[in-house]
Amino acid sequence: MFKKILIANRGEIAIRVTRTCRELGIQSVAVFSEADRNSLHVLLADEAYLIGPAPSSESYLNIEKIIEVAKLSGSEAIHPGYGFLSESPVFAKACQEAGIVFIGPTAENIIAMGDKLASRELMKKAGVPTVPGSEGTVESLEEAQTAAEKIGYPVMIKASAGGGGKGIRVALTPKELPEAFRACRSEGLNFFKDDRVFIERFIQNPKHIEVQVFGDSHGNVVHLFERECSVQRRHQKLIEESPSPSVPSEVRQRLGEVAVQAARSINYLGAGTVEFIFDNSTKEFFFMEMNTRLQVEHPVTEMVTGLDLVQEQLLVAMGCKLSFSQDQIQQKGHSIELRICAEDPVTFTPSPGKIRRCRLPAGPFVRVDGYAYPGYEVPIHYDPMIIKLIVWGHDREEAIRRAQRSLAEFMLTGIKTNIVLHKNILGHPQFIDGTYTTQFIEQEITSKPQNQLFMFVDEDVFLISAAITAYSDSKTRSTSEFKLASRWGKVGRQKGLRN
Amino acid sequence: MQFEAESNGIKYEVSVLEGRKAWRVSLKPEGEDWRHYEIPKTDYQFVDQTISFIFKDTSYLVDAIGEGTNYDIYTRGTHRTVEIYNEENLLHESLKGKAGFGGGLNLNSGMPGKIVKVMVEPGQAVAADEPLLIMEAMKMENEMRASAEAIVETVHVQAGDNVEAGATLISFKKAESKK
Repeated sequence: MFKKILIANRGEIAIRVTRTCRELGIQSVAVFSEADRNSLHVLLADEAYLIGPAPSSESYLNIEKIIEVAKLSGSEAIHPGYGFLSESPVFAKACQEAGIVFIGPTAENIIAMGDKLASRELMKKAGVPTVPGSEGTVESLEEAQTAAEKIGYPVMIKASAGGGGKGIRVALTPKELPEAFRACRSEGLNFFKDDRVFIERFIQNPKHIEVQVFGDSHGNVVHLFERECSVQRRHQKLIEESPSPSVPSEVRQRLGEVAVQAARSINYLGAGTVEFIFDNSTKEFFFMEMNTRLQVEHPVTEMVTGLDLVQEQLLVAMGCKLSFSQDQIQQKGHSIELRICAEDPVTFTPSPGKIRRCRLPAGPFVRVDGYAYPGYEVPIHYDPMIIKLIVWGHDREEAIRRAQRSLAEFMLTGIKTNIVLHKNILGHPQFIDGTYTTQFIEQEITSKPQNQLFMFVDEDVFLISAAITAYSDSKTRSTSEFKLASRWGKVGRQKGLRN
Repeated sequence: MQFEAESNGIKYEVSVLEGRKAWRVSLKPEGEDWRHYEIPKTDYQFVDQTISFIFKDTSYLVDAIGEGTNYDIYTRGTHRTVEIYNEENLLHESLKGKAGFGGGLNLNSGMPGKIVKVMVEPGQAVAADEPLLIMEAMKMENEMRASAEAIVETVHVQAGDNVEAGATLISFKKAESKK
C-alpha cells in the first residue's frame, strides 16, 4: 500500500479521503489556500502545505505548485477528489511525468469523456443509446437557431467543457435562445476557458439516473448499481438516493450492463460514473456523460453496497485487481444523501460567513461528511456545499423517516442553510411516492409562495426571541457606546446629565 | 420596553417587560389585535450557548444574533431576520433622511461578488420580478430581480465591479401610482 498520499482538494471530500488513508495507515498530506488555513481538512490531515492565495486558479488549480508539494512531502500518489483538477488530463499527465501516481482514470480516459460532444459520439459508436442533438458544436446564434429548429424545442444549450451545473442553459422557446446561448458561452469561457457549446433535445419529464462503475488495470469492469439524483436546481444536485424508486429491476439490470459496456469501450480505470437521462414514462434511458472521478454522492453507493470506494480507488491505482467481482456486489437497503449548502433556502443565493452554533445529527445509520464547526468562517471563494447528510434504511420509507429525524436534530446557525428546504422536500408527496423529476424543485418548490416553506415554526417564536434578545442587548449596553447611537441621542443624554 | 418590528413583511408593535420569574411579551401585528404572552424564565433559558425555548409545549432550540437593528433568529433549520427598532433607532433612521423603517428601496448585495451585467439604467421603470443585474458569487451567476414595481434612481455599480456584502447596488424610487 502507499505510505503517503497528497490530497489535492479541500472541504468535505478532502476529509473523506483523509479518513480512508488513516484507516489504512497511510499518511495524508493536505494542501490549502490562504483562505483555508482554518479549514477542517487542514486540521485533520497529517501534514499541511500552503499552496497559494484564495482564488482556486492560484491555489487548488495550480498544477506546478501541487506537484512541487507532492515531491517535497515525499507523497507517492495524489488523490484529486472531485471538482478542481480531478478531471484535468493535463494534471494527470503532470503527475505521471513527475513519477507520482494519479489516483483516478488515465489521461486518455479523461480526454475521451471530458468533451461532452466527443464522448457522446464515442458512446454512439459503442452502441450506447444517446439523446438527439446538434451535429457537433454550434459556432453562431444563427447556427444554433437552425440546429434547435431541427431538433425541436425545448432545447438545452451546453458548454462543451461544462460540468457541476455550470455552463448549461435551457431555451423553452425560440425567443429564449439568444440569451441562453450568450449566457452559456460566457459561463463556458469564464469557468472552463472554452466557449464551444452544443445543443440537444430537452426531455420534458426526465429523471437523472447514474451508474457507478469501477475498472482495474487487469481488464475487469464492474458496476455498483444506480443512483437517482433528480432533485436538482439549475442542474446542481440536492438529494441523491440509491436505489432509484423509478427503475424497475429489469431496467436496472440493463442500466448496469450498458454502463459497464460504456466504461469497457474506453478501457476505463478506477471509479467513474455513467450518467443517463431517464424517461420516467417510457423507462428509456440515454447516455448523458461520464464523470471520470469520484462523485459527491458516492456515499449512497457505499451505504447500499457496504464498500469503501476510496479504498478501492487506492487499490486500483496501485495496480491491484478489483477486490470484488460483479456477482459479489449487492444493493442492500436504501440510502439517501442530502446536500447541506450555505445558501438562502428561498432565493438560493450563497450565504458565506461565520458559523455560530453547529450541532450535527447522529444516531443509528446516520453519516455526516462535512467540514463545518462552530466559529468556522465559510469562505466566499468556493462551493457553498458544506455538509452531506447520508442515511441508510432497510427500505426507502425507513430511509426517508431517518433523514427527517436527522434534520430535526440538525442545528447550524450564523449562516443561512437549505436545511428547511430539505425538510420540505422530504415531506412532499412527489418525493415520497418517487415520481419526482429533475424539474421537481422549479415546479414544486421555487414557484410556490415562500410562506409555505416555513411551516415548522410558530411565527411568534421568531418575534419573541428577537424581542427578548433586543431587550437584553439594550439593558446591557453601556453608556460608553454613545458613538453607536445617533447624535441626537447623545445630545439628549448629555442634556439629561446636566439637569 | 417598546419596540417596532418587522418580520416576514409584517410590521409589529412589540412590548417586553421583564419580571422576576417571567417575561411578558406582547405582539401587535399591523391591523390585528395584541397577543400577550407570559413566558416563565424556566421556559426561556440558555443551554449550551443556545436558547432553549419551550413555547406552547413545543421545544425550540433558538440562536439569536443581534447586529444593529437586525436580529437573525435560527431555529429548526429555518432562519428569519427580524428588524427591531427602539425609539432611538427610529429617530436615527428618520434623521438620516433614508427610507427608514419599512422602506428598503435599495437593492443590496447579500454577499461579496462580482457584477457581470447590469440590465437597467437610471429613470427606468421596472416591474416586479424583472431582472436587474447578474452577479457572480461562489462560482454561480445569480440573476437579481426586482421585488416590486419601482423606478430606478441610481445604479451604483457597473459590469466588472467587485462588491462587498451589504453594498448598495441599485437605489429605487417608488413607482408613481397609476391614475
